[in-house]
Amino acid sequence: MNIAVCVKRIPKTAEADIFIEKDGSDIKKDHLVFYLNDWDGYAVREAALLKEKHGGEVTVITVGPEEAKEVLTRCLAMGADRALRIEEPPTQDSYLIAKILSRAIKNQAFDLLLLGVQAEDDNCGQVGVSLAQMLGLPHAAIVNHIEIEGDKAKVRRELEGGIEELTELKLPAVLTIQTGINEPKYVSLAALLEAEDKEIKDLGMEELGLTLSESVDTKIDQVFFPPVGKMAEILKGNPEEVVTQLTEIIKKKKG
Amino acid sequence: MKIDPKTFIQDYLLNICIQCGTCTGGCPVKFRSPLNMRRLVRQTYITNDPSPLFKSPELWACTTCSNCSLRCPAGVKNVELIMAIRNLLANQGEVPSTIRDALENTFLQGNPWGRFRDRRADWAKELGVKILGEAASETLLYVGCAPSYDPRVQNVSTALVKIFQKADLDFGILGKKESCCGNEIRRMGEQALFKKLTKDNTNLFKKSGIKRIITISPHCYNTFKNEYPDLTIPVQHYTQVIADLMETGKLKLSKALDLRTTYQDPCFLGKQNLVFDEPRKILTFIPGLEFVEMERSRQRSLCCEGGGGRMWAEGGTEGTRNGEIRVKEAVALGAKVMATACPFCLLTLEDAVKISGLTSEIVIKDISELVAEAIDENPITKFQAPNNHQ
Amino acid sequence: MGEIFVLVEHRQGKIRDITYEMLQLGERLASPQGTLSTAVLLGHNVKNFAEELTTKASKVLVVEDAQLEHFNSVHYQKVLSSLIAKYQPPLTLIGHTAFGMDLAPSLAVEMEFPLVTDCIDLSFEESRLKAVRSIYGGKVNAKVSLKESKGYVATVRPGVFSPGAPGEKKGGMVMEPSPLQEMIDVKKFIEYIEAPITGEDITQAEIIVSVGQGIGGPEHIPMIEEVAKSLGGVIACSRPVVDRNWLPKERQVGISGKTVKPKVYIAIGISGAFQHVTAMQGSDTIIAINKDARAPIFGVADYGIVDDFQNVIPILKEKAKGMK
Repeated sequence: MNIAVCVKRIPKTAEADIFIEKDGSDIKKDHLVFYLNDWDGYAVREAALLKEKHGGEVTVITVGPEEAKEVLTRCLAMGADRALRIEEPPTQDSYLIAKILSRAIKNQAFDLLLLGVQAEDDNCGQVGVSLAQMLGLPHAAIVNHIEIEGDKAKVRRELEGGIEELTELKLPAVLTIQTGINEPKYVSLAALLEAEDKEIKDLGMEELGLTLSESVDTKIDQVFFPPVGKMAEILKGNPEEVVTQLTEIIKKKKG
Repeated sequence: MKIDPKTFIQDYLLNICIQCGTCTGGCPVKFRSPLNMRRLVRQTYITNDPSPLFKSPELWACTTCSNCSLRCPAGVKNVELIMAIRNLLANQGEVPSTIRDALENTFLQGNPWGRFRDRRADWAKELGVKILGEAASETLLYVGCAPSYDPRVQNVSTALVKIFQKADLDFGILGKKESCCGNEIRRMGEQALFKKLTKDNTNLFKKSGIKRIITISPHCYNTFKNEYPDLTIPVQHYTQVIADLMETGKLKLSKALDLRTTYQDPCFLGKQNLVFDEPRKILTFIPGLEFVEMERSRQRSLCCEGGGGRMWAEGGTEGTRNGEIRVKEAVALGAKVMATACPFCLLTLEDAVKISGLTSEIVIKDISELVAEAIDENPITKFQAPNNHQ
Repeated sequence: MGEIFVLVEHRQGKIRDITYEMLQLGERLASPQGTLSTAVLLGHNVKNFAEELTTKASKVLVVEDAQLEHFNSVHYQKVLSSLIAKYQPPLTLIGHTAFGMDLAPSLAVEMEFPLVTDCIDLSFEESRLKAVRSIYGGKVNAKVSLKESKGYVATVRPGVFSPGAPGEKKGGMVMEPSPLQEMIDVKKFIEYIEAPITGEDITQAEIIVSVGQGIGGPEHIPMIEEVAKSLGGVIACSRPVVDRNWLPKERQVGISGKTVKPKVYIAIGISGAFQHVTAMQGSDTIIAINKDARAPIFGVADYGIVDDFQNVIPILKEKAKGMK
C-alpha cells in the first residue's frame, strides 16, 4: 500500500505575541517559530502505522519555501520513505495549492492520499477534498479511524455532537485526518539528524506545467485584530479571597 | 529494537554491583512507585535482551536525585543507567505524552513549557536590568526557564535583581536569547537535544564576553558546572554569591525577620554539588531569623520529587508526596517558613502546603526572597508570616 | 440573476441549527442584490422539513431520493451541481461542518467556482464576493476577496449568525426530480456510531468543571473531579484533553463533542478556541481560570481568575466541601 501525505509548514502562534505587517497583508512572522502543522503530524503518523500493517511506501509532499524542508525531514524521521518539496507560489490560495498537488500526484500509483483536516494558520480545511475532485478520487473528510479491507477503506468520520459516521470508500481515495486518530510519537533530535541525510526532491512549478503567475481564487485584502467584545469581570485579591468570591458566585448562580 | 546489555554493563559498571540494596534503600520514590533500583541493575545485568524491562512506566518515576549513585559502595552509575534507558526510549519515540510536549517545546521555544521565546525576559522589563549584547557586563545572571516564565518563580528572579542592585553587583541577563540549560532535558533522555543546547549555550556565553555565570536554579548550576564539556567560564549558584556579598560586607540587611525558619536542601545543590553551608550562612545572617535544622538534612535531605523531568511527567507515582512529608516535618519543628534555593523545590513544596491544607501554618520561600525582604522597609511582595491563632 | 442557494443540513431526522443561521444570512446577502434566497433540501421522505422551511425561506427547492437519505458527498454533489447548472445561483451557502467540509471543496472544483471556507462574515461588493475569516487560531481576522465569477461557494462557521425568528415567511415549494440514476459505489454510508455513555451525561449537568490542556497533565484531574463532585457537578474537558487520553471522549465539550448549557460552567486552563466556545457559550454563568490574562476565554466568561489553577483549586476544593 503506497501512501502520499501532503503536509504544511506553519508558524506557531498560540503562545506568541502577534503583530500585523504595515501593509496589513499578513501577520509578522520573523519572530515566530515554524513547525509541522498539527493535523499533518497525525496524518504522517497514521501513514507510518498503515505502512507497518500493510507494507508499502510513504511519500510526503509539501508546497512551500526552501525552509519547508525542515518539516519534510521531520516526516522522514517519523517513518516516511520519500519526500518532495514543490516551489511555493507567490500568493497563498487553497485552490492553487490543491491544483499544484494534483499535478504532482497525477499518474502516480498511490493507494491512499492523506492530508490534515486543515492547517493551523489559514484554517481553510479545503485542500484535501479539492484535491480529491481534481484527481477524480473518492474522499472522506475529518477521519478519525481507518481500516483497510482489500481495495476498500472503512473510515470513521467525526461529526458534530460526539457522533461518528462509518463510511466505506473504494481505493485509491483521499482522506483528511483529524487530530486524536492516533498517539503521536516523539521525534528525537537524533532521529531528525539521521533523517537529514535522506534525499528531499525539489520540484519547480514549471516542471508541473504551471507558472508562478497562476491565477488564484482568493486573496487576503487585509488582516486585522478581531474587535474586542465584553470582557470577564476579573476577580481580584489573593487566592483565598478570590476563591471566596468564586464560591459566592457559584452559590448564587446555581440557585 | 534489540539492545545489547554489554554496553550498559560496561558503561554503567553494572557488573560491580554487590546487590546490597543501598540504592533502593535510599531511593526517595521507593514507596511511591514500583521502581526498584537494585532489581533494575540486577535484571539488566543478567538478561540477554533488557528491552522489555525498559518498557516499565516506573522508569519515569526516578527524580535523578542521585542518592543511589552517591551512596553506592561499589560505584555503580545508577542514575546514568536510568538516563541511558530514557535516551533509548526517547530515540524510539516512546516517551509519555507530557514529556514529549516538554521536549518538543524546548526544541521549538527553548523552554519546556512552550512559552513564547520572545517573552522570556518580560519579567525584567521594569527592573533596569542590563541585557547583554545591548550593554556589557562580566557577570551573567543565567535566569533559567522556571524563573523566567513561572509567575511564582519570577518573584525569585525579581528578588535577586533587587539584592544584586543593592550590593552594587554589576551583572546582565541574556534576555530573549537565553535558552534552556538542558539539565532536565538530559534527564528526560533527550541526549542529542541536550548536546545541541550545550553547544548553542556555550557559544552564546563565549560571544557575550562574560567572565562568570550565576544561576538561579541548582539544576542549571549542576549542568553548567559538570556536564558542559567546553564551558570554561566559572559558574556559581546564587547562594554562593550572596553568602560572599554578606561576608565581605557588600550586602547589609537592616530589617529583622522574626521567623522560625528551616531549610530544604535541593538535591542538585546539596548532595550532588555539596553546596550545604552557603544557604545556611545566609539564613543565619538575616537579622531576627531563627534557623532550625530538620532531622534529615544535608546529604540526607529528602528529595522534593521535582527533578529528573518529574515537573513534566504525569503520574507514575502514588501515595503521599515527599513534599507533603517534608512540609509536615517542618511544621512539627515549629517552623513558620521553609526556605529553599531551587525553583522546583519551591513549586513542589508550595503545592504540598496547599494539598496538606497547611497554608495557615507555614509558607515556602526561596532564600533570595527572604534576603530581599530583609534589605529594607519596602518589601517587593506583601509578606505575612502565617498565624496559628487565626 | 438566480437566487442564493442555502443548503439545508439535516441529520437523523433533524434540521441542524446552521441551516437557520445560513437562511438568515442568505436573505441579508440577497436583498441588496435584488434577489432572494432558496433553501435547497435534499433527502428522502423530507416533506415535513420542507413545510417547516417554507416559513423560513422565500423558496424551498426539494429533491427526494432514497439515495439521499443519509449524507453522502458523492450523491449530494451530483444533485447540487445539476441544480446549480439549472438555477444559476450567484452563491451557494453550505455549513462549515463535518457535512459541509466533506462536500463544498469538491463541489466548487467541479463547478469551477471560487470557494471561501469557514466565513464569519460575507458581503457582495458589486457582484464580487468578499468574506471575513478568522485565521491563526483566532488571533486575527482576514478580509478576503474572491475573484470575479458567475457563481461562488462559501462555507459558514456555525454559531456566528443568529437564526431568524420562527414563522416569518410564506415561501413556495418546488419539487425537482432527482438526477441520481444508477447506484454509485465509490463511497457508501454505512451507519452512525454513537459511543454509549458510560459515565455521567455531561449535557444534563447543572454545574460543569471543565479542564483544558493548560492543566499540564492528567495527574491533576482527580483533584478537579473532586471539586466538581463537591459542587454537585461533573468534570468535562476540551478537545486536546481527549486527544491526549486524559479523559474519555464522552467528556468533551466542543463542536465535535457535546454542546452544554449548565447553570455554571467553570473553564480551567482552557484557552477558548471557537470549537470549544461555541458548545458552551449558552451556559448561564461562565467562570474562567487561566494564568494567561490574554486567553480568549476571558472574552467569553462572565467572571475570570487570572492565576495558576494550582493556586486556586486546592482552596476551592476545601471551600466546596458540602456546597452541593
